[in-house]
Formats: sequence, C-alpha cells, structure tokens
Amino acid sequence: MSLRIFILGLFASFGVAWLAILIAPSVAMSRLAPLEFSEAVDGKTGVFYPKRTGRIQDGAKVYAANGCYQCHTQIIRPTYAGNDMYRADWAGLKADPDRGDTRRETNAYDFSGERFAQIGVMRLGPDLSNIGRRVESIYAVGTSPELWLYKHLYDPRRLPERFMSGCPSYQFLFVEKPVKGNRSTDALPFGDDPSKQVSPSPEAKALVSYLMSLKKDQPVPAALNFGPPKKEAK
Amino acid sequence: MTTSSATGPDQDALLRVGIDRSLRHPVMFFLTSGAAWLAVSMVLAIIGSTKVHWPSFLNDYGWLTYGRVAPAHINALIYGWGFQAAFAVIIWLMARLSRKTCTNAGTLLAAGHVWNLVVMLGVIGILAGYGTGIPWLEFPVFAWPVLLATFIVITMGAFIQFRVRPEGHTYISQWYLLAAIIWFPWIFASANLLLHVFPSHPVMAAGVAAWYKSALIFLFFTPVALAAAFYLAPKVTGRPVFSYSLAQLGFWSLAVIAPWAGMQKLAGAPITYWIPMMGAAATVLLAVPLFASGLNLLKTVMSDTQTLSSSPALRFMTAGVVAMLLLGFAAVFLNLPGSTLQLTQFSLSNYGFEILALYGFFGLVTFGAIYFIVPRVTRREWISSRLIKIHFLFSAYGIVTVALVALFGGLQQGIGEESWQLPWQAAASRAYPYAVATTITWCFLLFSNIFYFIHLTLMWVGLGRRSSHPTLLLKPHHSGSVHGEEGDIDNAGPGHAAAH
Repeated sequence: MSLRIFILGLFASFGVAWLAILIAPSVAMSRLAPLEFSEAVDGKTGVFYPKRTGRIQDGAKVYAANGCYQCHTQIIRPTYAGNDMYRADWAGLKADPDRGDTRRETNAYDFSGERFAQIGVMRLGPDLSNIGRRVESIYAVGTSPELWLYKHLYDPRRLPERFMSGCPSYQFLFVEKPVKGNRSTDALPFGDDPSKQVSPSPEAKALVSYLMSLKKDQPVPAALNFGPPKKEAK
Repeated sequence: MTTSSATGPDQDALLRVGIDRSLRHPVMFFLTSGAAWLAVSMVLAIIGSTKVHWPSFLNDYGWLTYGRVAPAHINALIYGWGFQAAFAVIIWLMARLSRKTCTNAGTLLAAGHVWNLVVMLGVIGILAGYGTGIPWLEFPVFAWPVLLATFIVITMGAFIQFRVRPEGHTYISQWYLLAAIIWFPWIFASANLLLHVFPSHPVMAAGVAAWYKSALIFLFFTPVALAAAFYLAPKVTGRPVFSYSLAQLGFWSLAVIAPWAGMQKLAGAPITYWIPMMGAAATVLLAVPLFASGLNLLKTVMSDTQTLSSSPALRFMTAGVVAMLLLGFAAVFLNLPGSTLQLTQFSLSNYGFEILALYGFFGLVTFGAIYFIVPRVTRREWISSRLIKIHFLFSAYGIVTVALVALFGGLQQGIGEESWQLPWQAAASRAYPYAVATTITWCFLLFSNIFYFIHLTLMWVGLGRRSSHPTLLLKPHHSGSVHGEEGDIDNAGPGHAAAH
C-alpha cells in the first residue's frame, strides 16, 4: 500500500463520519426553523418561543466557569432514554394550581440565548432544567426565590433536610463588608453580627438570575409533545 | 524486523545511537515536564475527588471549588501529561523507525516550551474562573489556536522523517503514528471551530464536545499507545508480531468505527435521534479494534514469558494492553441503549472510563515505552528495579480501583438516579462509596508515581547507572550478574531483536 493510498484511507474513514455526524447536523441545526402552534391541535396559534428572562448570557458564563455542569445536568430525557419525566418536580410541576401537570421533555428551543447547552457530565446533584420553577413554586413559596437561592449558594447544608447535600458552598461569590451608616440595599439578611453585611457579588447576581430563568415547562406544540398522555387536572 | 542490506550491524548501531543522541533533549524535556504535569494533575484530582464525598473540604477558596479543580485536573492530565508523553513517543519512535536523525531539536524544544506555557496559563485560567465550561476544552479560548499550531510544529518533523525515510518496510507502529498526527489537528480544529467560530446550535455544541472526548481518546491516545505497543512487543521479545492481517484489521476497524463514536452521551437530548444511537453503536463496536489489537499484542508477548516477567517495558506495556481489553469490554457493557446507557449516561462511570483509557491503557503503555526509551536517550540504565516494581504495583492497584468505579460505580449510581420513586438523595448515597474509591485511586496513583518521578529525575540529571546491563525486574537464572547478560551498545534486554 503506497503512502498516498494510506493517507487517502485515513481521510476517507475519518472524513465520512466527520461530515455525517459533525458537519451536516451542525449546518442543519443552525437553521432550526421556528415551530408554530396549530390551531386545530393546540387550540392556539403563534410561534413556539420559550421566553426566558434574566441575565442568561452572563449567568451561563458563571455557571460554566464554576463547573456547575460537573454535577448538575440540564436535560429531561424522553422516557425511552431515562426516567427523568417521572420525578415529581424535575420536568415541571406535577400539579400546578393553574396548569395541572406541566411536565415535559427538554427541547431544542429551551436553550435559546446560550452558546453551549450545559447537558452536564454527571448527576451528583439534581437536574436543573426547572430549578427556577422549583424554587418559585416549591422551595420558596411566599418568600423571595432569589433570596432562597442566595442562601442555598452561600451554604447548601443550611436547611436541616439538606444536611446531606454534596454541593460546595459558594461563599466566594459573596462579599462581606462592615456596615458603615446604612446597610447596603442588596445586603442579605444573614448572620447575627449587625456590624457586618453580606452582599452577593455581580457573579452571584448573574448566576441566580440565570438559575431563575431555568423554567422549561411551558406548553409545547403538539409536534414537539412526545410525553406520555397526561391526566386532566382535576 | 529486516535489516537494511546496505549497512552492517555496527553502522546500524551507530545510526541508532546517533538518533537517540539527537533526540535526547526534546524527549527528556517532554517526559520530565509531562511528569511534572502528571503530579499537578494528581494533586488536583485528590483535592477534587475528596470534595465529592467531603464537600466542606478546602471550601474557603474560590479557586479550589470543585467545579474548577475537576476540570483543571483533567485538562492538566490530558494536555500537560498525556500530550507530552505522546510527543516523546511520537518523535522518538518515528525517528527510530524511519532511521532518520532528528535535525530540529531546537524547534521541538522551543515548541515544547510554548506548549507548557499555554497549558500553565490554561490551568491557571480555569482555577481563576475563566474556564469555558466545555468538558475537556475548558482552557480559556486563547489557548486552542496556540496548542493547535504547536502540535503541528512538534509533529511535522516526524511526518517529514517518514516521507524521506529510506525505502523499506512500513512498520505497524508507523501507521498508527501517522494516523494520530493527521487525525488530531483535524479533530481539534473542527471541534474548536464549531464551538467558538461557527457556532451552530447550543445542543449541537454539546454534541461536538461529547464527540471530541471520544475522538481524543480513540483517535489520538489510542493510536499513539498502540504504536508504542506494536513497537515494544516484537522489539523486546525478539519475536515477530503474531499476525499481520489481524494488525491490519485492528487498524482499519479503528479508523472506520472510532470517528462515529461519542455522541451517545446526548441520548435523549433534542438532537436528531440517530446521532446518539450511532454513537452508541460505534462505541460498542469499538470492542472489535480493541480486541483485535489486544489479542495480537498479547499473543506476541506471551511467546516469551521469561522476557515478559523480567522487562519493565514489556510488563507495563502488557498491563496497558490488558487495560485496553477491559476498556473494550467497558465500551460494550456501559453503552447499550435501553439498558445500561441510560444508567451510565450521567454517572461516575464516564470518569472511570476516561481514566481507564487515559491512565490504564495509554498511561501504562506509555510508561512501558518510557522505561525503554529513557536509557537509550540518556545512555544510562535505570537505577533500581525496586522503584520500577513499586511504580508498577501501585499503578495496577489504582487501575483496578478505577475500573471498579467505571464498571460498577456508574451502574449503581445510575440505578439510584433512575429510581424516580425514591428521593434524590438515594442516588447520591449509592454514588458515595465509589466517589471514595476514586479518591483512593488517585492516592494509589500519586504514591506509585512518586517513585517514577524520583527515578526519572535522577535519570534526567545524568545519575543513571553507567552500565551496559539493562535493569531487569527478575534475576535471570543463567547468569552470574544481577543485571543480566552483557548487552550490546543498544541494550534491548535478553534475546533482543535484530536491529532495525
């Protein structure tokens, strides 16, 4: 076998796969067309566009730089690929007072505004696809969901039911300063010492804003709805 | 194993000495700086892994948070140690097999310094909180073009040596070296371009990153390790490779199958359904090249069990090949869609599998090559067979532990993750013992490599034994000398091959 044929073999064996699973899908997915609701099936019209509010780009950077993806995923797999849909609060809410069962799979439109979908490496901690929804509707009912997240990031083992949490504390994302005159407006109600105050750093604010934007349980067009049939909310 | 008819054995030996001498400084530079990065990476691994089961450990410093230490560890391991060990093997092996003296040692050294500088800035960047958050590509974005250019500069010489080599046989090792030299820049450039320059879709970007991990293991580290193994096995035993056609099957099946693997980690993600399934199928099929090459190499070394038990190079290499067979088994066992894939997809078994590939297979085979190469380039023999034995023994303990994490830990954790009726804490509790086992793995590996570092440093500063007896692990029965038979100028151990 001559060198030319050998090199040709290397290029061909690699190149076919490279085109098929890297280049072609990249081109196809960069042109992902918006999905429309169908009047007949969905009962409404318009384009499906999961709305996200918050500091998504900065927050995603903080999420990435501090390696949240090492322990947390952001994917609700369809039932053929895993049991994520069945967990009561991962895929949405099992019994939302207004909307009933909001659980659904993750779709390609859920990552709008981000450059890299943090599917995640491992699940040492729970999935975060709907952490914003969970904090708002389950963990921090009646209080500020942002404050709940700040407290959690500051000390994940603060609540007695979370004493086993393996999450690191992110105290380095907070700033502790002495109080001079009035307390800072963004100081958190932490600690017993009235002469000191703890405020979130800009990174912590971006991260919490990003986490609050993770609410991937909006209704999807029937074309995207592969979940098991849901019982009507009673 | 043919000797060129134009030169006699003496000129041949002189040529080999000339090649070794021309490569002394680049090879030793890559090996020692690689060893330093291995040490850094192992310390970071122990810190990171301890944090998994003891979250408040060293918790006061942002730069030591788990989410920064873990990527810093794996990137230091891959780019600091793995690549530099691979560079040493590539440049030395290609020069020897192409029978060409190295003429660009200065360029290699300069490029090597650039590589180390970028790896250092990259690791510091990750720890300082500038990581990209893309698994295995966490170095801040400035790093990749420099790494790519440096890689090309370092391996270009090997490619040219192959082109201008004297007419003759092309060795199996040369196929693998050429493949690694050609595939890696392609993989690295396309992954980084798709991630940073021509972004497609966030989910596709995650797919590219998953593919990159697999491609780096199976299309760069695997070919380099197999090149070393297919050189050492016949060279040290003095027997020909068991089957040439099996070697061809091993090579071309790897070339055809491996580029498709990797995206099974996106099973269930919003991406075209067949892509993860194709990745799972390809990863399972990777058992074919791994078993074909493994069988071939084991058959070759088993033809001379006496040498196998006494040669450090052969013992490390064979242990690496056994780890490769285990890796082939794990590739099948952990990636079956509909049964094990959903359990292992987000579990410790990914990390276990990666360490089994990077340290168990690539690492041990490369250590075998290092134990063979260093005495030749430094013109000194290894000082103590006991240091080599401890290095081997504790590396083997570490690999067995990490294989347990990969094969059972991931499944245990996955079963907990999938048990949706139980609280989430059940999954974390199932992972706990295997997280402890990962820490133990790195303690074994750090302990074992302390002996390697000491030994390599002594060799580097020129304190190796001045002897023509190679350092063997067993005392031969037939010789009065503890160091074996009197060798020729190119000690290859007892029964060494005819020169080539």
